[in-house]
Amino acid sequence: MWQWFFRLGSPKWFYELSGRWLPWLVVAMTVLLTIGIVWALLFVPADYQQGDTIRIMYVHVPVASISLACFPLMAVAGVITLVWKMKLADMVAKCAAPIGAWFTAVALATGAIWGQPIWGTWWAWDARLTSMLIQFFLLIGVIALRSAIESPDAAARACALLSVVGAINVPIIKYSVEWWNTLHQPASSFSMAEDSPFGPEIWVPLVIMIFAVYLFFVISLILSTRTEILVRERRSQWVVDLVAADKTQGA
Amino acid sequence: MFENLAFSSVTEFLQMGKYTFHVWSVYGLFAVFVTVNLYLPRAAHRQFIREQKRRALRDAQTAQPIEADEGRPDANGGE
Repeated sequence: MWQWFFRLGSPKWFYELSGRWLPWLVVAMTVLLTIGIVWALLFVPADYQQGDTIRIMYVHVPVASISLACFPLMAVAGVITLVWKMKLADMVAKCAAPIGAWFTAVALATGAIWGQPIWGTWWAWDARLTSMLIQFFLLIGVIALRSAIESPDAAARACALLSVVGAINVPIIKYSVEWWNTLHQPASSFSMAEDSPFGPEIWVPLVIMIFAVYLFFVISLILSTRTEILVRERRSQWVVDLVAADKTQGA
Repeated sequence: MFENLAFSSVTEFLQMGKYTFHVWSVYGLFAVFVTVNLYLPRAAHRQFIREQKRRALRDAQTAQPIEADEGRPDANGGE
């Protein structure tokens, strides 16, 4: 088991494995994203209260929920970096921060656009909204911290610590809608019953979109991690050979 | 399948009830978000390989005795 764990830490091994997986992940994401978007835009019935703004949910909810995966991922990678000094974990953590910042920003923006007609305001200092904004600033903080520290090892340790601390915000975001009774509604419970207000015709496309956006997050993270691997390992023989063997680019 | 469509005409679909701006700006933003986050890491990957190839070429050339390029350190493709 440990042998597998440490092999996973080898950047070369990850680079080769991810290169084989990427095309399949991209195909799966494209299929799910197409089905999800067509379903959400064309087939989901307009809500009796919210009208067609219900279609915003199919972008906002997947993006917002996956943005919450970022800090736990960075915290786990941070612990692996601190305990085992695994290079790959730090590369993943470094690449996850800007992607997480994008996800959080898009979740906030789509939430504001949805909130304007439904709540009558673009922004409120509601518990969920505020804790999401804090997540955004924490991610910007992690990115800034890394670029401020010159030594890569010290930067990796500092960012690992900040990621572990920042992960505390995630349960606060998750349960904010239950702990504080403010503007943002709690998560809806979906049901298989046909007569439920959240029947399958509402939540099946949502589940499809959540999977699609998850795949998008993973693909985007793999793509930037692969480049990060090449940059950090550029002096090792396998990267030199890989560059020399590349036929697609003229020098 | 098409009897379940939420709209009865293309105009109605484009209008999204009275929420034309809200719905389409969210989907537009999402399209930009997905495109940028797939394109940028790919572009960085290509850029890295291009730079490394250029560097390898430069190293190979400077390793040989320099004649015509003497005094012009940038002549081998410096950026």
